[in-house]
Amino acid sequence: MTSTQSPIIASDLVRIFGSGEDEVRAVDGVNLEVTAGEVFGFLGPNGAGKSTTVRILTTLLKPSAGSASVAGYDIEVEADAVRRSIGVALQDAAIDPLMTGTELLRLQAVLYGIPRNAQHERAGELLERVGLSAAGDRRVGTYSGGMRRRLDLALALIHEPSVLFLDEPTTGLDPMSRMSLWEEIRRLNNDGTTVLLTTQYLEEADQLADRVAIIDNGKIVREGQPEALKTDVGAPTLLISVADDHVEPAREVLAQFGEARPTAEGTLGVGLTQGAGDVSNVVRALDAQGIVVEHLELRAPSLDDVFAEATGHRLEGAS
Amino acid sequence: MSASLGIATRSLRNVRRLPSAFIPALLMPVFQVVAFSGTYAGVTQIPGFPTDRSVNWYLPMAVTMGASFAGLGTGFSMIRDLQTGFYDRLRMAPTSRRQLLLGPYIAAWVRACIAVVLVTIFGFALGARPVGNGLGTFSLFIAGIGMATIGTGWGLGLAYRFRDMRAAAIMQLTLFLGLFLTDAQTPIPLMDGWLEYVARWNPLTQVLDVARIGFIDGIRGRDLLIGMLIMIAISAGAWLFAFTGLARLDD
Amino acid sequence: MSTMALRRRDQIGALSSRSVLSLVRQPSLVVPSLVFPLFFVALGTASFARAINIPGFPKVDSYLDFALAGSVVQGVLFGSVTSATALATDIETGFFDRLLVAPSSRTAILVGRLAGAMVYGLAQTLFFTVVLFPFGLSIQSGFLGLIAMMIGGLFTALAVGALMSAMAIKTGSSEAVQGSFPLIFILLFFSSAFFPRQTMDGVYRRIADLNPLSYLVEGFRSLTIDQLTLTAVLQTILIPAAISVVGIGFSLRTLHNRLAAS
Repeated sequence: MTSTQSPIIASDLVRIFGSGEDEVRAVDGVNLEVTAGEVFGFLGPNGAGKSTTVRILTTLLKPSAGSASVAGYDIEVEADAVRRSIGVALQDAAIDPLMTGTELLRLQAVLYGIPRNAQHERAGELLERVGLSAAGDRRVGTYSGGMRRRLDLALALIHEPSVLFLDEPTTGLDPMSRMSLWEEIRRLNNDGTTVLLTTQYLEEADQLADRVAIIDNGKIVREGQPEALKTDVGAPTLLISVADDHVEPAREVLAQFGEARPTAEGTLGVGLTQGAGDVSNVVRALDAQGIVVEHLELRAPSLDDVFAEATGHRLEGAS
Repeated sequence: MSASLGIATRSLRNVRRLPSAFIPALLMPVFQVVAFSGTYAGVTQIPGFPTDRSVNWYLPMAVTMGASFAGLGTGFSMIRDLQTGFYDRLRMAPTSRRQLLLGPYIAAWVRACIAVVLVTIFGFALGARPVGNGLGTFSLFIAGIGMATIGTGWGLGLAYRFRDMRAAAIMQLTLFLGLFLTDAQTPIPLMDGWLEYVARWNPLTQVLDVARIGFIDGIRGRDLLIGMLIMIAISAGAWLFAFTGLARLDD
Repeated sequence: MSTMALRRRDQIGALSSRSVLSLVRQPSLVVPSLVFPLFFVALGTASFARAINIPGFPKVDSYLDFALAGSVVQGVLFGSVTSATALATDIETGFFDRLLVAPSSRTAILVGRLAGAMVYGLAQTLFFTVVLFPFGLSIQSGFLGLIAMMIGGLFTALAVGALMSAMAIKTGSSEAVQGSFPLIFILLFFSSAFFPRQTMDGVYRRIADLNPLSYLVEGFRSLTIDQLTLTAVLQTILIPAAISVVGIGFSLRTLHNRLAAS
């Protein structure tokens, strides 16, 4: 892998299922570039084409058209080299319920050609890392959803891959388990691992991703840093409440900073044209008029707003 | 190679952990040798029947049946792995596709050995006796392993193509029909009409002959050779069927 | 009183037609119980053509005539497992509970389910006979014998259906009911369904002598290969009828226990 090349590049990826009347273009011309050391969030509702794209990039599925390289290798021509370089945690944590955690890790180690004498140690290390040391000898069938996902992550890390694919790593998890998985992903990223994660949770993308791409109907409709995308959607809204007799003067002051926004009764809202940095100026201007602010709240546009603006519909299961 | 062994080990371990998936496949041929030898005990009295012990005739049939179903068993497990998504994990590993395929074969051979030995023990207990020097017991074993190899390729190939329980129904039915449309129940010269024709052209008849050579009169070295060659050819074809099926998974 | 009786009749009618319809609408469940016995008959007729002359074999024109009885009983047994499986599925899906909370009679629910099996058992007997006629099958006891066989098929379906239903009600698992398939094979093979008892020997012969299925099959067989006799008619109809009485009593008690437990 050349150091200058981005670890994940996809150009005009297309994947068609079925033919004739039943033809579905699950992935319809996806272009992607994930740079080294980045956490890239792939956001979209069920059936948008996220998982299909991931299955193509992880060599599980051949593209119908287009090309892609992962870790510097072509996914079709050099599939084996790609497999050696990537770690993958799949949706619904595909693990065999009859095996124990340790057995699964050791099988994974065998498959990735880790020398026999190192297998045991590596398995123990990874179990410890994801907090499953105590459960290592239990059958996976007895694990909770959160434990399965953590084991899945450990399996993906067996050969210390430089690129990690996480397909909906926290779908169906309780908030606690989700947080601890996020922690682990951040830690991995800090150690230099490039991460591509798909999610249908906006908060997850917001929390973890350096950049996000929003996919809908097989096409990428927005791409960029979460903050930038949100800024593009519009100015943040500043909400303030003041004493009743100050409402009219306050309204006049706020008008200098941007357009009035509809709010609940007893509150005034303004879209800050200059962005969040203007809040202190607003407060100072109100103070200068002798207006006492009882409550103040800045509401940033959410990724959901970005999503709605890009696709025309809200994200299913948005949190 | 170590990857294949890893996969085989896992699949054999799972046999122990999910015995309900293996025990029936083991009991079926045992039942067959007991039931057929008993219910059709009278067939040996048909003029020209090549043995005077019915179990000598039905033991090789039960062995090949049991061994081939031991092979199909890996097809059933494959369907389960495909449906849980576990197989995706194996496919993403930097392991050659040949090794990925060899794993279930090794597991099938081990399972077939267990089945063949068990059924043979039952057969001998019921009175089966090899003719001649007893070397025929060895070719019974070889035929068992051959049928297991054929069953594995056929089962895996179908599992890869259908990816759901339809494959299980098809693999069982086809193998069942394939093995019964031979001289499974009576020798070809004693048959009547259509089956005589079908059994003569069904290559599995020759494989059954390999299994039977040590237990009945009248099968010669030449039949053994032809039977072995046919067995190897079908095994190779079944392997190819499985291999192309595996490649289809990423289409 | 008469309105009660009328209502019960309506209920049995409605539930019966549902159970028949469920068979008609799921050909994948029905087809094996028609095709498998025919396959075995075809296989046997070709394989054992020359066996009919061995000592102990009854006087028959062909193995086909001999084998009809075995395949009718085999088919009816398979079919009854299918309808008992449907009952277990009803329990699994909760449909059975819905019937129980309705003001319908317990017996109606059970009989309704079994009525489907009975109709099917009768139809199967006719089906096998009609399909095999062109291949040289002959019924020595004539039309009346065929009628007796169809009634026998009906009662056999009721008998096995009732016993299997008891199992379905007790376990509430369609998988457990399906799992009884091997049991049916064992019962069939350790009987005279495929070969005459007179040609068997040893322990095997003794088991076949004790197996009630042997006598049931032999009743059907006598109607196929001999002239019409009262003994054969009674054997064909009374054996399954007697088992039916036991089976229904048994499944009603199981149902009663299930209701008491819940």
